[in-house]
Amino acid sequence: MARNPKYDILFEPIKLGPKTMKNRFYQIPHCNGFGSEKPLSQAYFRSLKAEGGYGACCTEYCSISPESDDTHRVSARLWDDDDVKNLSVMCDMLHGYGALAAAELWYGGPHAPCMESRCVPRGPSQIPSDFEHLTYPKQMDKDDIRAVQKMYVDAAIRARKAGFDIVYVYGSHSYLPQQFLTPYYNKRTDEYGGSFENRARFWRETIEMVKDAVGHDTAIAVRMSTDMFMGEPGTQLERDCLPFVQMVDDIVDVWDINVSGISEWGEDATPSRFYPSGRMLPWQEAVKKVSKKPVLGVGRFTNPDLMVDAIKTGKLDIIATCRPSISDPWLPRKIDEGRLDDIRECIGCNICISRWEIGGPPLICTQNATAGEEYRRGWHPEIFSKAKNADNDVLVIGAGPAGMECAMILGKRGMRRVHLVEADKDMGGIMSWIPQLPGLGEWARVVNYRKIQIGKLKNVEFVPNKRLSANDIKTYGAEIVIVATGSYWATDGLNGASHDAIPGADASLAWQLTPEQIMVEGKKVPGKKVVIIDNDGYFMGVSLAEKLAMEGKQVTIMSHQAHIAKYMDFTLESPNQNRKLHKLGVEIVTEHLPTRLEPGKVHAAHVFDEEAHDKVWEADAVVLVTQRRSNEALYRELKDKVGFGALKKEGISAVYRIGDCVAPRLIADVVFDGHRLAREIDSANPEEPLPYKRERRVIDLMGAKAEIDEHRAALAAAGAR
Amino acid sequence: MRVLVIAEHLRGQVRDVTYELIAAGHLLGGPVLVAAIGSEPAALDLTRVGVDEIVHVPVAGPDFESDVYQQVLAALIADRRPDVILVGFTVNSIGYAPAVATKLKLGFASDVFALRQEGETIIATRAFYGSKVHAEIDFPGPGPVILMLRPTVWPLAAPGGAPKVTEMRVSLTASRARHVQFAEPPKADVDIGSADFLLSIGRGIGEKEKIALFEGLAEKMGATLAVSRPLVDAGWMPSSRQVGQSGRTVKPKVYLALGISGAVQHLAGMKASGTIIAINKDPEAAIFDAAHYGAVADLFEVARELEKLY
Amino acid sequence: MKLVVCVKLVKILGDEVEFKPDGMDVDPDYLEAALNEWDACALEEALLIRERLGAAEVVAVTAGASGSEEALRRCLAMGADRAIRVESTAEDPLSTARELVAAVTPESPDLVLCGVQSSDSVQGSTGTALSELLGLPCVAVVKKLEWAGSGPATAHRELEGGLIDIVEVDTPAVLTIQTGINQPRYATLRAIKVAEQQEIVVIRGPSDGPPAYRIRRMFAPPKGHGAQMLEGGPDEIAKQIAGIIRERLK
Repeated sequence: MARNPKYDILFEPIKLGPKTMKNRFYQIPHCNGFGSEKPLSQAYFRSLKAEGGYGACCTEYCSISPESDDTHRVSARLWDDDDVKNLSVMCDMLHGYGALAAAELWYGGPHAPCMESRCVPRGPSQIPSDFEHLTYPKQMDKDDIRAVQKMYVDAAIRARKAGFDIVYVYGSHSYLPQQFLTPYYNKRTDEYGGSFENRARFWRETIEMVKDAVGHDTAIAVRMSTDMFMGEPGTQLERDCLPFVQMVDDIVDVWDINVSGISEWGEDATPSRFYPSGRMLPWQEAVKKVSKKPVLGVGRFTNPDLMVDAIKTGKLDIIATCRPSISDPWLPRKIDEGRLDDIRECIGCNICISRWEIGGPPLICTQNATAGEEYRRGWHPEIFSKAKNADNDVLVIGAGPAGMECAMILGKRGMRRVHLVEADKDMGGIMSWIPQLPGLGEWARVVNYRKIQIGKLKNVEFVPNKRLSANDIKTYGAEIVIVATGSYWATDGLNGASHDAIPGADASLAWQLTPEQIMVEGKKVPGKKVVIIDNDGYFMGVSLAEKLAMEGKQVTIMSHQAHIAKYMDFTLESPNQNRKLHKLGVEIVTEHLPTRLEPGKVHAAHVFDEEAHDKVWEADAVVLVTQRRSNEALYRELKDKVGFGALKKEGISAVYRIGDCVAPRLIADVVFDGHRLAREIDSANPEEPLPYKRERRVIDLMGAKAEIDEHRAALAAAGAR
Repeated sequence: MRVLVIAEHLRGQVRDVTYELIAAGHLLGGPVLVAAIGSEPAALDLTRVGVDEIVHVPVAGPDFESDVYQQVLAALIADRRPDVILVGFTVNSIGYAPAVATKLKLGFASDVFALRQEGETIIATRAFYGSKVHAEIDFPGPGPVILMLRPTVWPLAAPGGAPKVTEMRVSLTASRARHVQFAEPPKADVDIGSADFLLSIGRGIGEKEKIALFEGLAEKMGATLAVSRPLVDAGWMPSSRQVGQSGRTVKPKVYLALGISGAVQHLAGMKASGTIIAINKDPEAAIFDAAHYGAVADLFEVARELEKLY
Repeated sequence: MKLVVCVKLVKILGDEVEFKPDGMDVDPDYLEAALNEWDACALEEALLIRERLGAAEVVAVTAGASGSEEALRRCLAMGADRAIRVESTAEDPLSTARELVAAVTPESPDLVLCGVQSSDSVQGSTGTALSELLGLPCVAVVKKLEWAGSGPATAHRELEGGLIDIVEVDTPAVLTIQTGINQPRYATLRAIKVAEQQEIVVIRGPSDGPPAYRIRRMFAPPKGHGAQMLEGGPDEIAKQIAGIIRERLK
């Protein structure tokens, strides 16, 4: 199919200083967990987007010195020539696809706790980080300032050597240059503090120095937060940002514009729960009005019409994406080829970000099971090998996220026939009702994308309204059976804290409810006072609290943890969700575990009260969000009652199960589960995941022995007795 | 070119398609002969510009029966020797016209939406492959041609003219399929897939509370309410109402889209609709590419005005 | 008790189309085939009648080239007892009916069910044409069917606008079935596999008689130039919209 001419503007090249980008699609710096220490994972991950049409791809934040060490979080590093070597692989692969490579040179100051390097970060003023509360910076004197500026210059030179076309002097998210600009961080009284010109000095000088060093053939990018939403102490658009843009516009080749500081950077990486696409366009437009240089920025853009509009109305020159590039690295290509309904749209759940926030693990994506697996498992989101055992018919039972993904990938791998059978009238499983929780409408894209793709696959048939018994499965005629029957919320208050049911908990009673009973069965929540018992710690409890409070209930949400919905800290949804609950008058009770339920009353005790004094909450209704349980019954019947031997006699060579019915987990993980089985359906033992490549140092035993011997000799010579 | 039009009527009222057939016949040159088949043919209003003669064919019952129309049509063809017979491509007509064409081995085409002549040759246009392609067809045989014309394409012949009125009696064998009675359709579950007129709302309506407004408007206008995906995702409406690639694909006669931007997946579900009318306050909205009629306006204001008219 | 169902394998075009060099037909590479939706409902109705009556033989018939057997296989998988293909290149409804009659007449059916129309040609005429050749009464556009197994059947016809015309028809009869009358059942993989192995009887059609029409040329419809924009204030726009709707809903 051909590109719709109205999207032509997205494919026009644009000059960034001495470089030219081939189109307006830019993958903005973002983390993936690979850094410089997993160079192939890094290179495969980034270049997939270049293959998918991105005109430029960036590293994640790239540390310029051991003083900028964010362990346990993974940043890229350009500390030495070995890092140069490692990152050059990424640059080469990007260039191979005609894309530019960008390095986001980063010095974190007090936000980087240096838990690996044990260095001391430097900062404009000695105040502990608002993000890493135990980390104090060394207060910079002029020598420190010059030393850190030299780090930027040296890193820029290394970046150029590695092959990067664009280098950033990155301040956004409250990192060092922005700390100097911002009164909240900068209490200095010398020429680097106080007035706007003084506060801007460090950043300006650094840009000038970097430009002097590499600017003749490398583009200089500046990433700036235009407003930290902190009032006077924070960066402000009119007072700080726009004057800064005007001050250095001549020496900057491209502006990367966002908002927010680091402690609430969910205002930048906006969850779909709170913000629609393009949230930052007003700020990006303000900068574009005062700058003569190209301006780029993100906004969770998935819709090409919105992208075109942003450029045509003078808000952005370049459309940057982060999360939409994770969910679909081939977004530009699909727009180019007129395949808009093949675009796997980001749902704004921020599961990818949560992995960085937790610190350490590689990123994952709810929509795209191949995110992070490009190198270590060799998965390409758009290319599928024909299954060696394609001459088989497959029955997938359950069209929830795991079942849909599995059926879809099996279809794409050319299995002869795939029947995706679902008891309900439509695809979706839990994803047919979770998107109906407040704010989660975009999460329905998980279902919509798969529905469309499955509709296009001639060898995959969706059979609704059919609840298969074990006997039905036995005689269905499939050679491979995959059970994907999902999970349900415990009806007896079983939870991960007490590892026991809650005495008196019984969701068959009219005044006790589980999430499905409310959302699927429409079971009425009686009375006015509702107590939600939340031992889950992610979105279910607080979403139901929000929903019921909006319906006029008086809601209490009770958790045994110190913090409600802890996982939402990692998805950056906590601050705004808490604001919402607060506004709705929801009572939040932490560090309490229910001891007993009786009509009208929830009895609980403080988790640290050794005498467990009884506390009572009045409740007309109790919602049990304690834990989930696998819907195992069908699989167990097939395995234990019918027996795999009997199934073999009917021609069923294998029975697998995937998703929540194995163990309840994140939606991203059940989609992954379905995907993996389909990718490995023709391996020797598909039930066991194939080993994945681990990028790690494998010791050279001869060399190690030599190194150890040398070390021992040195110790001996130093007089160790 | 002698044209025979079979009038279509229901419960004493001539259906508009009849007037379109007359206009089409008139454009072919005529003379145009209109047959009124029923128990009281004289009560049917067929005095229209372009009609040269009205033939009343009185039969026992007032309502359509396949065998009656088959026999009368065959008799009219034998008696009046038309060159072309025009009937509407309608539920009733498909129940008899093809049978007559088969019996008499005539040229035949249905769902014709354009006609032209080359000398004495009639060339008709119809669609194939689900309306994706068009084809011009002609009729090699010597005999007359039965054409079933698509309703709402030709204009309505205006009242007027002074046609000759004659009568023809046909002796009929008993109908093997007999009309018993009419009945109102059951109030079944909403099936947007079978509605003739859909009023479809999108994100432009803003909030869930506004849906009631459009439910009311749809009812007044005789439309079935449909929605685009975002309203279903948000839980405001059930998925049975959703138009789009991941919802239902619909082909109503009229699709009125209010506050729908026209995302690709939505268009895929409704672009085959007969007439698409779109209201959106964004002049660049993609829906305007697919719509037949559009207006850049505030959808609430237009809705308010529409309500006054119904 | 025998129920014959006439089915068609329809060919659906995606969004793109290329024509054959002679301009008389589309390039088959752009076509996807499937059992016609209306015919699936007709087959389902026959299966439901068989279930209601306790016993009946359901025979699926198609006229076409060997590729059209895919439609018959689907019918067998759904539960048809037998399938017959009439080897045929007929395209228009009258010619197709002539081919079908070669398979239907020998079956002496009690009922013949056809879909109202096919989704690709939308002729709406084959069933009615067939009724004439079989010498049977025809009821078109049936939304509901009641029949005790002998004697007249009661058919509900769905007229434009939704009004129901209740008709009593002597059997044997030909009925053209409207979608919405039922939900065609799905076939299990086993049934599909068994259907793959079942014999399909192939007979030659008469292949005589003139076609109903002849295609002169085929072409892509002219692309619209976007919407005709209505001008004026909300009240004028509303008036124009109401007028258009009234026109189109006649």
